[in-house]
Amino acid sequence: MTTGVETTTALRLRGVRAGFGAMTVIHGVDLDVPQGAVTGIFGLNGAGKSVLLKVIAGVVPTWSGTIHLGDDDITKLLPEKRVAQGMAHVPQGRQVFPSLSVEQNLRVGAYTLRRRDKSSYDDRLAQVYDTFPRLRERRGQAAGTLSGGEQAMLAVSRALINDPKIVLIDEPSAGLAPSVVEDLLEVLLQVRTLGLTMLLVEQNIRFGLRLADSGCLLQKGRIVYSGDTKELDQDRLATYLGVGRLLSGDLTVGLGGGAKKAPRRSRRPV
Amino acid sequence: MQPIVLGVIAGSIYALIALGITLVYKASRVLNFAQAEVGTLTLYATWWVTQRQHQSWWVGAIASIAAAIAIGLVFERLVIRRMLTAPRVTVAVATIGLFSLMIAVELALFAGTIYILPPPISHGGVSIAGVYVNANQWLALGVVAVVAAALAAFLRYTDFGLAVLASADDPVAAQLMGAPRGRISAFTWATAGALSAIAVLLIEPTVGVLAPGAFNGLFLGGLTAALVGGLSSLPGAFVGGLVVGIAEAEVKAHLVIQSIPSFQVTAMLIIVLLVLLLRPQGLLGSRS
Amino acid sequence: MLTAAALFIALPLATEHAMPKLLEQHHYLNLDVGIAIAIAAVSLNLLLGYAGQISLGHAALLAAGAFASGIVTSRWHGSMVLGLLFAVVTTAALSLIVGLPALRLRGLYLAIVTLEFGLVMQYSVLRSTVFSGGSAGIALPRRVWGNRFFTDNAVYLVISLLLLLVVWFLDVNVVRTRIGRAFRTIRENESVAQAFGIPVTRYKLLAFVLSGAMAGLAGAMYGHAIGFVNNESPFNFNQSLQLIIIVVVAGLGHRLAAILAGLVYWVFPSFISGLHQWAYIIGALALMDVVSRHPEGLAGVWERRRRPKPADDDDDDGELPALPQLPAPVRAVQAESLPPGSPLLEVDGVSVRFGGLQAVDGVQLTVPTGTIVGLIGPNGAGKSTLFNAISGLVRTESGRIRFRGREIQGLRCDQRARLGIARSFQQVGLAKDLSIRDNFLLAQHQLAGYSDGEALLMLPRASRDEETFRTRADKAIAALGFDELANMPVRNLSGGQQRIVEIACLLVTAPDLVMLDEPSAGMAPAAAENLAARLRDLRDVLGRTVLLIEHNVPLVLDTCDYVYVLDAGRLIAEGEPHEIASNPQVIDAYFGAAVPA
Repeated sequence: MTTGVETTTALRLRGVRAGFGAMTVIHGVDLDVPQGAVTGIFGLNGAGKSVLLKVIAGVVPTWSGTIHLGDDDITKLLPEKRVAQGMAHVPQGRQVFPSLSVEQNLRVGAYTLRRRDKSSYDDRLAQVYDTFPRLRERRGQAAGTLSGGEQAMLAVSRALINDPKIVLIDEPSAGLAPSVVEDLLEVLLQVRTLGLTMLLVEQNIRFGLRLADSGCLLQKGRIVYSGDTKELDQDRLATYLGVGRLLSGDLTVGLGGGAKKAPRRSRRPV
Repeated sequence: MQPIVLGVIAGSIYALIALGITLVYKASRVLNFAQAEVGTLTLYATWWVTQRQHQSWWVGAIASIAAAIAIGLVFERLVIRRMLTAPRVTVAVATIGLFSLMIAVELALFAGTIYILPPPISHGGVSIAGVYVNANQWLALGVVAVVAAALAAFLRYTDFGLAVLASADDPVAAQLMGAPRGRISAFTWATAGALSAIAVLLIEPTVGVLAPGAFNGLFLGGLTAALVGGLSSLPGAFVGGLVVGIAEAEVKAHLVIQSIPSFQVTAMLIIVLLVLLLRPQGLLGSRS
Repeated sequence: MLTAAALFIALPLATEHAMPKLLEQHHYLNLDVGIAIAIAAVSLNLLLGYAGQISLGHAALLAAGAFASGIVTSRWHGSMVLGLLFAVVTTAALSLIVGLPALRLRGLYLAIVTLEFGLVMQYSVLRSTVFSGGSAGIALPRRVWGNRFFTDNAVYLVISLLLLLVVWFLDVNVVRTRIGRAFRTIRENESVAQAFGIPVTRYKLLAFVLSGAMAGLAGAMYGHAIGFVNNESPFNFNQSLQLIIIVVVAGLGHRLAAILAGLVYWVFPSFISGLHQWAYIIGALALMDVVSRHPEGLAGVWERRRRPKPADDDDDDGELPALPQLPAPVRAVQAESLPPGSPLLEVDGVSVRFGGLQAVDGVQLTVPTGTIVGLIGPNGAGKSTLFNAISGLVRTESGRIRFRGREIQGLRCDQRARLGIARSFQQVGLAKDLSIRDNFLLAQHQLAGYSDGEALLMLPRASRDEETFRTRADKAIAALGFDELANMPVRNLSGGQQRIVEIACLLVTAPDLVMLDEPSAGMAPAAAENLAARLRDLRDVLGRTVLLIEHNVPLVLDTCDYVYVLDAGRLIAEGEPHEIASNPQVIDAYFGAAVPA
């Protein structure tokens, strides 16, 4: 599909504006998502994180500006064409197809792969099942009957199976039990070692910082900071996200490791 | 016994209409009012091919089905595709527009003359359980079984079919997996057109003549069947068709009151009201 | 009512010879018919545009009204006033009978039942000789009293306009009170409506009965305008479809548009009846073209034109946006509260089964008054199902649920909500097509001290209550800092903002038991902290009780007084937060192995 030209930017946004009706939500965003790294988008509720992701996906139309996937201008493409070009999604709330079986979900996830190259599907399916043996056990089961953690695994696999260039992940940890969040983090960290480009929106800042190599802060539909996550110190986070007392404990809190440090009654306010 | 056998035959044809209504409803949450009328108009193509061009009934049937598919595709492309985010009731009104258009074309081109279309098979038949079932009725049963099975298999075992089902679950999520939303929509409306044409072709021998709106009963039966089946499951639509067909045949056979014209319509309403009161979860549907 | 009746009798007598001859009689007649149909359009708009219920047999209701009035005025020699009243009562009763079986259920059953009802009227009733002279029909004289009639179409026009005003007034009151909010919520999501304490079936029936009564009035007015009706009168399936077309093309939910469309359509009857053959084809094509290009109807086109274009409102002042502050909870319900510590909610051996899956298995728990109780456990443990069982969205297989000592497992969801059990949903239980302000008003549905009858007539109590609700809503919106978004559909907010609004809706009414299902999911850390503070306010300031499902462990440990742990449908542990946090079984099932830090 792409030519041999090496690009260091997997996804590039220039001056992107979007919104609903008379309300502008995204005000001229410039964003470079580097190849082979995990980029996190952080911000307060209503800053426009999920809308930005939807604009990149093509579900919300771009009013002005351009979006490039690799070297291709995808600004005007339909969402499914962007998928065919190598974009994959782990939607918010996981959104597995409840009436289809696990394997049928995966087959739908591989829709554009199977149209390109049907022969590689079996290999990729086997890979997914090796990574998530649990899914192999439940291949014939309707996805709606899976537990939350299994649905999360299915949602991630459904994106990976299509051999994407970039995966857009929207709030993966929301609504998951701490132990599952931890499993999911391990899965995603493992995926990261494959050198896959990921763009992540995450409210759980600890989770996001563990996973992301670089991050950008979105505020009122504008990017106000971007850079390496290591440079994102507590002060800056506290300033922009209001991370305060409740989550200011050690990193494991909120990732499910809280129990190990228990009893944590000492943290209770008096 | 006779009403049951006749009911099964009519009911299986209702089931085809119900399948079309359910498929469109699952895919786009729209009630398609033109589901029976498209096939009614395209039946004139069959008449023209067989009576004017002197081709066989089968060639004429293919002409009708092709024309119905074409109408479905054009309607989807020019109307439905522009209404992705419109309120569903508004889209239903667009199908009322299609319904009106079909009737209007029928009236403009064919009103005033009686058109007669000979049945596909002119003689032959076999009795079952003491009831004579003629060759055309056997044909109807066979075609319905094959069409329903083929549709079910296509949806379950092909990539595109699975994408259609996924899109019915959640169109945006399916699109984010690469399922082509436009072509899925086109497929459902083309299929609805084909089902409409086939159903009208199969029920025509029992009516005998073509006239504008002659198959309104087919739409009523099919819509009732689809709703009895719960509007969400294709097997449900099928069983709903049989239930409605049998109930209607029983009413026709046993309940005739001279002082009330068309009493069977009234009887159907009473039956529907009773079903809703006594089996509130629908005949097949579950409440959740 | 009496004054209205007196007016109807006095007016024709007084004006019979006084009306100026501005127009020819047949022009007045056309207008009379037009107003009747405009009322029919308002009637259908109420049902379809507000409540979202489809009627495919509205013309049959018009027919029923016309025949009812015909029977009164020509067979029983009653006055036209009585005829119109009888028409309204008859069609209201008919709507109740036809609607009740269909509207108890979710889905499009009203469409099929009204479709068949319409055909029954068309093929059986209107052709039978029981109610009319069959095809000879029945006369509808404009009888004033005894043998006094009036024939002037201009006088009839005045009466028609007055009736239109009455219908308009009722419709306005529907929209601006809890009735209209209930209708619009039901249209969007019946489960959400129930959770707000709205008895869904009752309101759907109310919509259909109101709509039916208006349609009956319209039919009778049509009949009295023309003078007689028979089975050739425009009461067939096509007319039902045409009414739907009028309402949708004009713009769903827009009363004025519906009236205008109704008038135009029928004052110029040649517009449609004159269409033959090719013109009819062009008409059908034009309909499809209009609805596909302007799905919001002509009223929507007009509104969009008046709305300013989105400008890049450069509010990039570099300042940090103020954090939305959840409004302080207010004591809106005046139920006498139980002494702190006494059990408010008792779940006694409750089980829920879905097919082969035992989702909740003999759970036993108690929530004391004035505490915050946590419910944690892995995904799929049955926490939300237990919430659904308590709030009445799923049926329990066995066991008892007591609230304030009263067994409630047999009650409907909305009945439990009215007892004082409110909840939030994982998928945000708001009416997402309604604005933020409307959702705050909706949340106060059960606080209304007025009956639906008072609302329809906008009696003092109704307007006073509505005023209170609006003030309370505005305060909450101001606290959130959402003033600019107040009229925006909730759908346009981000997931986290929607969650904040949902919880604020619970805070403005502060019911006895607040059940929150993962309230902090999708909330920024600062918002979660604010949430924790507000939960403590609920408990400490108002003495309310909270049952909380949450995966945010620090939030649970921080705010809860007591915690239950559910796994695979069973309780595996309970205790104070610090006990739970160190319980090895809970660590194994829920917290998981610690992250290598």
